[in-house]
Amino acid sequence: MRAELMLMGRRWDMAPQTHRRTLVVLIYAALALAMTGLWLVDRWRVTGVYMIFATILINRTLLGGYNFGGLIKPFSGKAPNRGVDPPPFLVLGLRLYRPEPEENAYRNDERESQQRDHAHYNAYQGLTLGLVLVWLLADWQANAPKLLGWLPGGPAVYLYGLTLAVVVVSQTLPQAILLWTEPDMEEPDLVEMGMAGLS
Amino acid sequence: MYTQYIYVNENINPKDGPGESGLFNRIAVLRAERGVTRQQLADALQVNYQTIGFLERGDYSPSLKLAFGLSEFFGLPVEAIFSRKPFQPLSEQVYGGRSRRDHAS
Repeated sequence: MRAELMLMGRRWDMAPQTHRRTLVVLIYAALALAMTGLWLVDRWRVTGVYMIFATILINRTLLGGYNFGGLIKPFSGKAPNRGVDPPPFLVLGLRLYRPEPEENAYRNDERESQQRDHAHYNAYQGLTLGLVLVWLLADWQANAPKLLGWLPGGPAVYLYGLTLAVVVVSQTLPQAILLWTEPDMEEPDLVEMGMAGLS
Repeated sequence: MYTQYIYVNENINPKDGPGESGLFNRIAVLRAERGVTRQQLADALQVNYQTIGFLERGDYSPSLKLAFGLSEFFGLPVEAIFSRKPFQPLSEQVYGGRSRRDHAS
């Protein structure tokens, strides 16, 4: 996990756990607001796909986990393929953190890999519940439509919304869990000072 | 500086618990003794410097590969670095339980 976020040409200190937790809360609040707003616009008929784009943008700029940017190193532990360079807008417009193409900047060590796997396990537990709800809604829609007859706009739109929410959460939850649970990160400089005091 | 000193020695104090890993270790003492920073040790072992902090606090139990890496780095057997029981202070181990008067005589 990286200790600072490079965004809009500014360095944001993310070493304290409270900063990371605030970021997670803000991200999910923004996503919930966007979901609600897009439902009001056209009940996600056309705008639903924007949620996927927003998720990709959030992962690339803030959370990480899948590509060159964000706080979490790629889950794969490998440097992203330079053949698929990000669009210039992302790098120049948002002035993102983008390490040099050396493996060390992307590699997860054994503790980080363990944390990553644990975060995915925890995320999987929550997502299973979401998938059960999707299945239940789809089942009732197909086999017992009367049960959902009271929903304004019909059950299909809610099924779509729930599926969309599960997709968005599945792409962000492991990173959010990592950011939430990692304790305060020590600054390398402080470590050096500690050593100076000992010698 | 003083608080950092206490913090570094935390994991070898028999009164303290071994941390989440259930293992006691001497990494902080060995590192301090040899004047190696966490970053230098992390670079030598190809891990994140945060991981060295977790190891020192006993909050992370290393793999065999990493434990042997530490053993090679410090030139000591693994059991001199990690233990399931609290370590005796090095001074006690080297000089035994002799008092100051014994040393003077």
